[in-house]
Amino acid sequence: MALMPKRFFRLTMRQREARDFYLCILPWLIGFILFTGGPVLYSFFISLTNWTGMSTREWVGFQNYIDLFTVDPLFKTVLANTFVYGVGSVWLGLVVAVGIAILMNQKVPGISIFRAIYYLPSVTSGIAIAIMWAWMFNPRSGLINYVLSLVGIDGPGWFSSSQWAMTGLVIVSLWGIGPNMMILLAGLQGIPQHLYDAAKIDGANAWQEFIHVTLPMLSPIILYVTVISIIGSFQIFENVLVLTNGGPGTSTRVLVFDLYQNAFVNSRMGYASAQAWILCIIIMFMTWLMFRISKRSVYYEGTEE
Amino acid sequence: MRKIFTLQSLLKTATIASALLFTLATGPMSHAQEPTTLTLALHWEPSFQPTQEAFDAAFMERHPEIKIEVIYNTWADHNAIVPTWAAAGELPDIVYTHGSRATPWAAGEICANLDSYIETDEDFNVEGIFPVALEQYQYEGNQYALPYDHGVILLGYNKDAFDTAGMAYPDETWTMDNFREAAVALTIPGQQWGFGGYYNGIPLAGEGAVSFLGPWGGASFNETEDALLFDSEGSRTALNFWYGLMAEGVIPNQEDVGSMGGGQIMYTGQDAMWAMASWETPAFADLAAFAWDVAPWPEGPEGRVTGAFGSGFCITSQSKNPDAAWLYLSEYLSEEGMIAMWGETGRGSPAREAAYQSWIDSELSPDNAEFYLEALAEYAVNGRPYASVTGPEIIDVINQNQTLLNTGEITVEQFITNVKEQTDPIFAREN
Repeated sequence: MALMPKRFFRLTMRQREARDFYLCILPWLIGFILFTGGPVLYSFFISLTNWTGMSTREWVGFQNYIDLFTVDPLFKTVLANTFVYGVGSVWLGLVVAVGIAILMNQKVPGISIFRAIYYLPSVTSGIAIAIMWAWMFNPRSGLINYVLSLVGIDGPGWFSSSQWAMTGLVIVSLWGIGPNMMILLAGLQGIPQHLYDAAKIDGANAWQEFIHVTLPMLSPIILYVTVISIIGSFQIFENVLVLTNGGPGTSTRVLVFDLYQNAFVNSRMGYASAQAWILCIIIMFMTWLMFRISKRSVYYEGTEE
Repeated sequence: MRKIFTLQSLLKTATIASALLFTLATGPMSHAQEPTTLTLALHWEPSFQPTQEAFDAAFMERHPEIKIEVIYNTWADHNAIVPTWAAAGELPDIVYTHGSRATPWAAGEICANLDSYIETDEDFNVEGIFPVALEQYQYEGNQYALPYDHGVILLGYNKDAFDTAGMAYPDETWTMDNFREAAVALTIPGQQWGFGGYYNGIPLAGEGAVSFLGPWGGASFNETEDALLFDSEGSRTALNFWYGLMAEGVIPNQEDVGSMGGGQIMYTGQDAMWAMASWETPAFADLAAFAWDVAPWPEGPEGRVTGAFGSGFCITSQSKNPDAAWLYLSEYLSEEGMIAMWGETGRGSPAREAAYQSWIDSELSPDNAEFYLEALAEYAVNGRPYASVTGPEIIDVINQNQTLLNTGEITVEQFITNVKEQTDPIFAREN
C-alpha cells in the first residue's frame, strides 16, 4: 500500500488551534449536554406528561400548561408574588448596591477592609443566613423590632403577618448584594477621571457629576447587574422555605417554591416541569425586555448614539 | 530550553490514563464468593445508628450469605430522595416508609406488594401486629409495607406546673370540659400556656386532627378521603373550641410560636399540657428539665377518640434481592426484632402488642406509658388522609389557610369556606 504523503495530514496553525480548542472544551461540552442540556430537554418532555415522579406516565400534551392558567387558582397568586418580590428586591438591591459601591470607591484609609466586610455575607451559607434573619425579624426578641421600638414604632410580626412577610423577604434579599456591589465598584473604577475633570470645569456639582457622568458610564454595568438580579429574584427559594414556607396563607408563595411543592411534596412532576418551563420563558422574556429597553437608556463608550 | 510537555502530549496521556482507569474499574471480576448485598435506606440519626449496626451484625452472623449496607438519609430529605431514586431506577432493596408515604409509594410503584411473602412465610406472625397499624400500609386491599412503630396521641402534662398551681393531674375521668377548665387555670400570660397543642399548633389533618376534631364527632376527611368534613357540625364545634382557646391566649398563636420556636416552648416547660405522641417521648426524656407524664386523651361530647400513626418499611419494586429483603424484614419486624430495635431502646412504641411492654418498661417511656397501649386497643383511629394520592396536595391547601387562621387574619368560618373552595378542584380532578 502506497504511503500517503505526510503533508496530507499536516494541519495549518488555524486548524491546530481549532482542534485544540475543541479538545479542551470537550469535557465541559459533554458535561453540559449530559447533565444540563439533556435534563432541560427531558424536563420539557416530562411537562407534557402526568408523571408523578414514580410510576408510569401518560402523555397529556399541553394540558399541564393549560391547567396552570385556567384551572389552578393558586398559579396567578404565585406569579403575582414572584413579580412583587422581583420588583422589590431588584430595584431596592440595585439602589443600595450602587450607593455602597460609590461609598466603597472612596479613597480613604482601610477601604479594602470595608469592601471585604460588605462582600463577606455573599460567601456564607444561605440556610444559616436565613435562620439568622428569622431571629433578627423575631417580633418579640429580634433586633429589627427592638431598633424600631427605640424610635417609638411597634414593629410588626414580620413573617407571621401576610401583610409584612413579603416586605421581610425583600429586606433579607439585600444581604446578597455583595457580588453586585463588587461588579459596580469595578465599573466605577473604570470611569476615566478626565470626564469628572471636564465636568468640574463646566461647573458641575457632585450630584450633577453623578447624574451626567457616573450613571451614563455605569449604565452597561447596571444593565448587567439588573438582568442577573431579575433572573436571581425569579429563582428565590431557600429564604422562602426557611423563613415563611410560602405563608402566611399564600402571601409569599413564589414560583420556585410552588414548583418544589408540586414536584416533591404533591408528586406532580409533570405539572412542576411545566411550571419550570413557564419560569424559563418569563426569565427569557424579561431579559429580552431589559435589552430592548437598554437600547435607549444604556450608554456604551465608543459606539454611536 | 527543550519542551518536556506539549498540549498534545498532555491530552494523549490523559486519554490513555482515562481509558486504563475505565478498563480497570469496569473489567471482569469474580463474583463467585461474594454474598448478596442488601441495601437499606433509613433516616436514623447518629445516636441511633449503633443500634442498627448491632442488629445488622447479628443478622449477618446468622446469614453469612447476606451483606447489609445502610444508607442514612436525614429525616428532612428522605421522602424526597426515595422518589428521586425511583425515577433513576436506583432504589435500594428496603426503604423506610413513613405512614404518610404509604399510599403514594404503593401507587407510585416504589413499594412492592408483600402479600405473597406474608401468606407463605409461616414464621412471620402478621396477626401479632396491631390491625390499625397494618391498615395504614394497605393499598387497594394489598399490603405494601409493614409497620415497625405505631404511635398514639395522649395528653402530656407538666407535673411541676400542676404542682405549683395545686391542681390534680389529668386522669381517665377527664372530659374536654375538665381539660378546658384546667388549661385556662394553668395559663399565666407571658410565662406559661395552658395547652401547647400538637407541636404547638392545632393539627387539622393526619393523626392530630383525629384527636382535635374527633371528640366532637368531627373529622378532616371522610372515610373514602374524597371530601373534607370541616363544614360538619362536629368539626365546626371543635374548631371553635380550639381557636377560642387560642384567642384567649391559652394556646400559643403563630406569633408566639414564631417568636419562641415550637420546640423551645415545649421543652422548656412553658406548656402546662400538650398533645403527646408516643414517638415524641424519647425527645422529652432527653430534653425536658421538668417532671412530666401522660394521661388518656380527654373524652369529648361524642366519646373518646385519638389519632394514631406510624412508620414502617417496604421492599422496593426495583429490589434485585426481594427474597433476601423479606428474610431481613421478617426478622427486623419480628417480636424479637421490634423489642431489640424500638422497645428496649425506648425509641418508639412497637407495632406488635407482644413487643409493646418492652417499650413501656424502657427508661425513655413515661410512667403512665401503658395508657398508650390502652388507647391503641380501645380508642385510637388512624389519621387521614392515608389512602389517597392527592392527600399531600389537600394538606398543602389546609396548611396555607391555617396559617391565616393562626394569625387571626381569617375566622373559622372563612377557613372552612376557603378550604372547600380551593380543594374542590383537586378532588374533582382526581375523581
